[in-house]
Amino acid sequence: MIEVRELTKRYGGTTAVDHLSFVVRPGTVTGFLGPNGAGKSTTMRVLLGLDKATSGAALVNGDRYTALRRPMREVGALLDAGAVQGGRRAFDHLGWLARSNGIGARRVTEVLEQVGLAGVARKRVGGFSLGMRQRLGIAAALLGDPGVLMFDEPVNGLDPDGVRWIRELMRALAADGRTVLISSHLMSEMELTADRLVIIGRGRLIADTSVRELADRFRRGVLVRSPRPAELTAALTAAGGAVEPMPDGAVTVTGLDVAAIGDMAAARGIPLYEVTSHSASLEEAYMELTADSTEFGAPLERQAS
Amino acid sequence: MVDAVAAEWRKLRSVRSTYWVLAVTAVFTGFVLLLAVQMAHVWDGLSAERRADLLLRPLQELGGWVASLCLAVLGVLFITSEYRTGMIRTSLTALPRRRTLLLAKAAVIGAVALVAGEAVTVGSFLGTRAVIGGRPFPDQKASIAHDLPGFLVAGTVVPVFALLGLSLGVLLRSTAGSLVSVVFLWHVLPLLVFQLPEPWSERIGSVMPGGLAHQIAGLGAENSIYGDLLPSGTAAAVLIGYALIPLGLAAFILVRRDA
Repeated sequence: MIEVRELTKRYGGTTAVDHLSFVVRPGTVTGFLGPNGAGKSTTMRVLLGLDKATSGAALVNGDRYTALRRPMREVGALLDAGAVQGGRRAFDHLGWLARSNGIGARRVTEVLEQVGLAGVARKRVGGFSLGMRQRLGIAAALLGDPGVLMFDEPVNGLDPDGVRWIRELMRALAADGRTVLISSHLMSEMELTADRLVIIGRGRLIADTSVRELADRFRRGVLVRSPRPAELTAALTAAGGAVEPMPDGAVTVTGLDVAAIGDMAAARGIPLYEVTSHSASLEEAYMELTADSTEFGAPLERQAS
Repeated sequence: MVDAVAAEWRKLRSVRSTYWVLAVTAVFTGFVLLLAVQMAHVWDGLSAERRADLLLRPLQELGGWVASLCLAVLGVLFITSEYRTGMIRTSLTALPRRRTLLLAKAAVIGAVALVAGEAVTVGSFLGTRAVIGGRPFPDQKASIAHDLPGFLVAGTVVPVFALLGLSLGVLLRSTAGSLVSVVFLWHVLPLLVFQLPEPWSERIGSVMPGGLAHQIAGLGAENSIYGDLLPSGTAAAVLIGYALIPLGLAAFILVRRDA
């Protein structure tokens, strides 16, 4: 379990995280989303005791990270897969990490096999591709068999196979009952991996929701096409739906679901050519939510509507 | 703490730079012995009164002097290579108790530098003695047992420089900046101090790290850019201060700074 309570982090005059609160529970994959510069990495650094909170608290299993005696046995983290010394062999890199937390050497072999790097264990990390480094970083996070896992942008720069591997691994870790937090700026990726979403922008919480709730919230009604729109509109309005005519003669109905609309049209003998449940994609929902908080966004011309 | 020391030891011995630095140190010691062979030849060709001016000790001390620089470089790299690659964050995530991390690094680099330092200084002394054989150089007339303690003391200067390098690395986080600072303290500063007007060149020259071993061992500072005003105990305290004060400052900053 990860708890962030009223966390604020300022660097000089810049506020990176601003009174942020959320909880990440075990057994789920929680996506930590936000545009670049939203404060995701800062939050993770504070959670890991690398940066100090200006105020508020960031707790792992109820404790500050720096109070954990052998932290890798409770929390596994991958912040930056590139942050390894190239001259060291993969086996030695995991070896010193294991030793620092009193983890046996056998576990090093196990995680190397688990992430598919057993064949290059004796190779120097400097020659690894980004995907291999990402796997090495994940191996390091898994070393202590921790109940809490944090990954900062784990799919960045990976090929489709690598992305799928990470996705399946994250789901499997959560299915074991672990707490899994993954940061990303790609909603399309989180849509496939995460159960819950914590969305932040400019250091503030924008949404703390499940993927399904977010999809429901951005449901845009049902698109209905009929040769007798006036009759249909009257009937739907009477049934309590809100009807909005579209320029091409179709109507968008909110307040009634597809089945209710179909049943009503059948009862009145109104032919329907199309009934489409129209929801905004999560990507669109995300863009809408974070539209005001992208730090380095190009100015978009607002469409006249 | 045991885990932390074991992890840092594994780190140090799993990168090539460690072996390069130690190899350079060893090769230079071999070079000192070759120079001693050359001096033995020179000795053989000199008249009796010119032999009275031929000193071997400066050559014998060259190895320790170079080892100080080499191990200081290793001390710098031991931490700045982590800052350069960002691996420091992994280290601090594995060992969030930062004082423990720094102490473990200091213990490992200090121990390696002490062993290397003693090997070089004692090796240079015994090796050059063996090379000159029975030739009675004017400064080699005492027994080995009599002169050995001075070289043992000189060997302890090497870990002091290694710890100084480590501390500078933590404070500056930059390899280039730390190496320049180390070289400055190692040789440039003593040369500048030597150019000061008397009595300041003598006074400040007495507290330069490179000149402390002589004062601890009670040897004079003739033919040296250093001073010899300190009693043995004070010189030892100053030497320890060069190791511990920067280390304490590094710990103070490391604990407070965002990584």
